[in-house]
Amino acid sequence: MKNLLKKELSYYLNNPLGYIVIILFAVFVNLFYVKDIFLTGSASLRPFFFLMPWFFLVFIPALAMRIFSEEKRNNTLEVLLTLPHSETEIVLGKFFALFFLLFLSLVLTLSLPISLFFLAKIYLPEVLVAYLGCWLLGSAFISLTMFFSIKTKNQVVAFLTSALLIFFLLILGTDFSASFLPKFLQDFLSYFSPFYHFQNFVKGVLDLRSVFYFVSFVFLFLFLTVVDLEKRD
Amino acid sequence: MIVLSLVSKFFGQKKAVEKISFKTKEGEIIGFLGPNGAGKTTTMRLILGYLKPNEGKIEVSGFDPIDNRIEVLKMVGYLPENNPLYYEMKVKEYLSFIAQAKKYDSWQKTAQEVGLTEVLSKKIEDLSRGFKQRVGLAAALIGNPKYLILDEPTSGLDPIEQEKIRDLIKKLAKKKTIIFSTHVLSEVEAVANRLIIINEGRIVYDGKKPEEKGAVEKLFKLKVK
Repeated sequence: MKNLLKKELSYYLNNPLGYIVIILFAVFVNLFYVKDIFLTGSASLRPFFFLMPWFFLVFIPALAMRIFSEEKRNNTLEVLLTLPHSETEIVLGKFFALFFLLFLSLVLTLSLPISLFFLAKIYLPEVLVAYLGCWLLGSAFISLTMFFSIKTKNQVVAFLTSALLIFFLLILGTDFSASFLPKFLQDFLSYFSPFYHFQNFVKGVLDLRSVFYFVSFVFLFLFLTVVDLEKRD
Repeated sequence: MIVLSLVSKFFGQKKAVEKISFKTKEGEIIGFLGPNGAGKTTTMRLILGYLKPNEGKIEVSGFDPIDNRIEVLKMVGYLPENNPLYYEMKVKEYLSFIAQAKKYDSWQKTAQEVGLTEVLSKKIEDLSRGFKQRVGLAAALIGNPKYLILDEPTSGLDPIEQEKIRDLIKKLAKKKTIIFSTHVLSEVEAVANRLIIINEGRIVYDGKKPEEKGAVEKLFKLKVK
């Protein structure tokens, strides 16, 4: 698994595309927040964290869309599957590489909380919990994109299907869905939305149910990816 | 020993191989001959556990490639059709990746044997077709596998490179069982000591390679009409 993780990381870190995606993410996240901070005059980081799921909607599928579909298109999946490592090792190796890149991308956004820490009073534990939420949310989207990436040889298809499902799941947890869904259904469905659980973290609440939700989400999609990889048809 | 007993594989309604059986012996170089779409690649993928048979049984040194995939893959070196490689990697990075996957320390000796020493620091995408093929072959050889399965190892190479790869296969055969697929009849004549001809998913000939010049071609034409 370590071997695969190293291979994937070196692909992203030796490739301008990897840097471009990560840097664009950091630049846009910072810009969008800084643009508003002077308008609102508030030093709260909540608006910044509330933007994150919508950035992830594009950033995570862009980062992870190639992870299996490129292997399928170039037939290198046959190389991987005829080497003596298990399907679970392949999936975990790739997942942890993306997991690390997500961590790296989030580190690049730390300039904001660090600046605010010195300029205004921000409550550090709240920020840390929100960052944990971002990491969990990003990991969930990574696992989902990996699953769609294994379904197709076409990276664009992997990107679009993942982004579409992420958008749908996010919308379920917002007030917008209340405008077209009956209240009881919206209350029920919103529990399945990553946005609903993410809000707890942004408020600085470390709710174990939400942690469990994200961990289960990741497990489910990684499991489905392994099952797909194990198919020998 | 690799044993296939009445193995069939279907892709939907389409029959890829049907009730094929054969057994290998140590030190054999088996030329797996057949026209395009005859079922050569499917048979090789079945032996590796990359595909699951619909019927029949496969054993590689007593292990089932589906139930004991890892055990089987530790014993088999494989060069896939069209030699897919990670083009963005340097040769040494790729060979090191393969060696680590096979939990084998040394890849340098294999690289030297296959003649890759001068291009180790080059990116695979910058290599000539012949060198790319050598990289694929080196990857198959790392870990000193008991069996070598080579799917069209000389495909797309010029005659000089073809000759070099054939010599390499012959050199390796002293210690291993090799199955190589091809549709180049002269290649079988030059390298193999056993011949399996497959046509439309069925084995139509399995026996010693005829020694007389041109006999393989005659046999092939007779069996594959």
